[in-house]
Amino acid sequence: MTGGLLLQAVVSGLLLGGVYGLVASGLSLIFGVLRIINFAHGAVMMLAMYATYWLFALGRVDPYLSVVITAPLFFGLGVAIQKLVIEPNRAAAEHNQLLLTLGLALFFENLALVLWQGDFRTVKVAYSGASFVIGEALVEVSRLVASGGAVLMALGLFVFLRATDVGKALRALAEEPEGAALVGINVARIRAATFGLGSACVAVAGALITPFFYVAPDVGESFNIMAFVVVVLGGMGNFVGALAGGFIVGLAESLGAAFLPGSLKQLVVFVIFVLVLLFRPQGLFGGSRGR
Amino acid sequence: MSEHTRRLSGGPVSRRTFLSTAGAAAAVVGSPAIVRAQAREVKAGYLLPVTGPLAYEAGLALNGLTLAVDEINASGGVKSLGGAKISMMPGDTQNKVELGNSEASRLIDQGAVAIIGPFSSLVAFSVRQVTEKNKTPFLLLAAVADNLTEGGLKYTFRMQPNGKGMATLTVSNMFEMAKNANVPIKRVAMMHEEGNFGTTMGNHVEAFSRTMGYELVQRIPYNLRSPDFTSELSKIKAARPDLLIVSGYYGDSKLIAETAAKLKIGVSALVGLANAAYSNPKFIAENRELTEHLFDGNYWHNPQSARARAVFDAYQKKFSSTMSSHSVQGYQVTFVLKDALERAASVDRDRVRDALSKTNLTDHILTQDAIRFDDSGEGISATPALIQVQNGKPVVVGPARFAEAKPVFPVPKWKG
Repeated sequence: MTGGLLLQAVVSGLLLGGVYGLVASGLSLIFGVLRIINFAHGAVMMLAMYATYWLFALGRVDPYLSVVITAPLFFGLGVAIQKLVIEPNRAAAEHNQLLLTLGLALFFENLALVLWQGDFRTVKVAYSGASFVIGEALVEVSRLVASGGAVLMALGLFVFLRATDVGKALRALAEEPEGAALVGINVARIRAATFGLGSACVAVAGALITPFFYVAPDVGESFNIMAFVVVVLGGMGNFVGALAGGFIVGLAESLGAAFLPGSLKQLVVFVIFVLVLLFRPQGLFGGSRGR
Repeated sequence: MSEHTRRLSGGPVSRRTFLSTAGAAAAVVGSPAIVRAQAREVKAGYLLPVTGPLAYEAGLALNGLTLAVDEINASGGVKSLGGAKISMMPGDTQNKVELGNSEASRLIDQGAVAIIGPFSSLVAFSVRQVTEKNKTPFLLLAAVADNLTEGGLKYTFRMQPNGKGMATLTVSNMFEMAKNANVPIKRVAMMHEEGNFGTTMGNHVEAFSRTMGYELVQRIPYNLRSPDFTSELSKIKAARPDLLIVSGYYGDSKLIAETAAKLKIGVSALVGLANAAYSNPKFIAENRELTEHLFDGNYWHNPQSARARAVFDAYQKKFSSTMSSHSVQGYQVTFVLKDALERAASVDRDRVRDALSKTNLTDHILTQDAIRFDDSGEGISATPALIQVQNGKPVVVGPARFAEAKPVFPVPKWKG
C-alpha cells in the first residue's frame, strides 16, 4: 500500500505541478521583461475562468475551445492594463507599482463579487469526472490535459521568443531596456505586448483549470501564492524554469501531504522556497531575463 | 395611543411624556400613517457580514430574519407592547472585527433593544464585549465557537448548538444509526480546514474518541484554498477508516467529495460536520450524482413541524428559493427575541435580558426540545440534525424522533 501511496503522490504531484507551472509562466514572462511583480495575475486568471464559465453556460462553448476567444480577449485586457495603469507609473518607485497591481487584484475580485456574487460555479462537461488508473494511481484526465497544456505553452513561448521579431524584441528589452530603445525598438509597445501575452497565458491557464476546479471571485488566491513560489524557484523571468519549478513544488506538496502529518505539506514548499532564496537567489535554473 | 405611550415609559404620565404624547397626537393629525408607525415600534438591530467574503451566507440569514419580522408585524406586532412593530435596523460587519464593534455601538446608540448576529465567531468574540458593556442582549446567529459564552457574560445568548454540541451530537447520531444498522464504527478519519472553525471541530472529534471508543486513524487539517487533495485522501484510504468526517467550506468540501469518490476510498459513509456544502440545496442540485447519500450534521429545521412547512412555503414565495439552514436560524432567532419582548412587556434592555434568560419556547421549527438557555446563555437542548441526501434532497434521518426518512447506511458507493 505504501508503494501505491508513493506512486499516487508522485502522479498527482506532477499533475498539480503542471498546473502551477501553467499559471506561473505568464507571471514569469511579465516579470522577466517588465520587472513588475504582478499581484493581479491570479485575479486576471479568475476573470478568465469566469469568461470560460459564461461562454460555456450561455453559449455551450467547450472550455478548451473557448481559448480561441479568451486568449485574444485577455491579450487585449493585458495591453489595456499596461497602457492605462502600469505605463503611466513606470517612473514611480517599485513599491508603488507593486501596490498598483495589488490594487488591481482587489478591484477585480470585488468587481467579480458585485457582478457574480460569492457563489461557487462549476463547468460540467462530459470529461469533467473522467479518470483512469495507472498501476494503483488515479489520473484525472482534465488535470492531465492542463499539465500537458503547460508543457505545450512553455514550448510555444520558447519558440515564439526565439523565432519571431516581436519575441526577439521582447528578449532584447528584457536584457537591456536602454539598448533596445536605442536600436529602434518601440519599447512601450513591446511592454504592452508582454503584459498582453502574460495575460493571454493566464487566460489559457484559467480555461484549462475550469473543467476540474470551481470558479469564484477569490479562486485566483488558490494559485497566486504558489505561482510566486514557482517563479522564484525557476528563476524570475525564466518560464522554462517556471515549468520545472512548478513540477518541483507540486511534487513537494503532494509527497508532503502523503507522508507528513497534518498540514505540513505547505511547510515543505515554503522551506524549499526560503532555502532557494538564501542559497540560490537567482533561482534553481539560473539566469532570468526571459531566456 | 396614550395608553401605549404610558406603558412604554412605565410610570405615571410625567410632563415630558405628556408633551411628547401631545406632540405626537398633534403630528398624527398632520401625517397619520408615518407617525403612528413610529410610535408603535420596537427597535432591534442585526449585525451581519452582508458585504465581503461571507455575503452570500449572510444574505440567506438576513432573508430568514426579514421573513420573521414581516410575519410578526403582519400578525399584530408585539402584543404586550400594544402591537408595537419590530423595526430591524441594519448593521454591516463585512466580517471585520472593528466594524462589528463600531456597528454594534451605533445600533445601541440608536436604541436597539437587542442585537442579532454577527455570523462569524471571530467578530462575535469582540462584539459580545460591546453588548455586555452596554447591557444589551446579544443573540448569536450561526457563530459556533465554544468560547463565545465563556467568561460569565449576562447578555449573550446562543440558540443553536456550539462547536462541542455540534461535533459530539453529530458523532453520537452517526453511532446510533450505525448501531441500528449493525455496522460498527471503529475507525474514523477526519479532514478539516485549518482555521478556527475546522480546528475546533477536529479537536472535539478527537477528544470524543475516548468517550465513544473509536480510533481517530487520520486527522488532516488543510488549507481551504488547496487545489488538490489526492494525496491526503490516498493516505486516508490507506488507513482504512469506517467513516470520513469533513468540516469545511464550500469549494474545498466539494473537491474532497469528488476526489474521495474517484479514489473509491472505501468508507461506510462520508459525513459532513457543520459542512457548508454537503446539505446545501444549491450544492446538491448542482452535483446530483456526487451528493447522493452524503451525510451532514448541521443546523436544520424540524421536518415534522407543520409550522416549518408553512415557513418554508412563505420563504419560497417571498425569495423564490428554498429556505436554507442559515435562513432557518435567522427566522427562529428573531422569534426568540419576539417571545422575550412579549414576556418582558417592556423595551428596557435589562427586562428583555431577564425574559430571554427565562425563555421556554416550544413553538419553534428546530430539531430540538423547547428553546431554553442555561446560566451562560447557551441553548440547553440545542441539537444539530443528521441529514442525508436522498433522491437529490437533504432529509433528516436523525435523531430518530425528528427523522423523515430512514438512513441509507452503509452507503454502497463509498464502500466501493
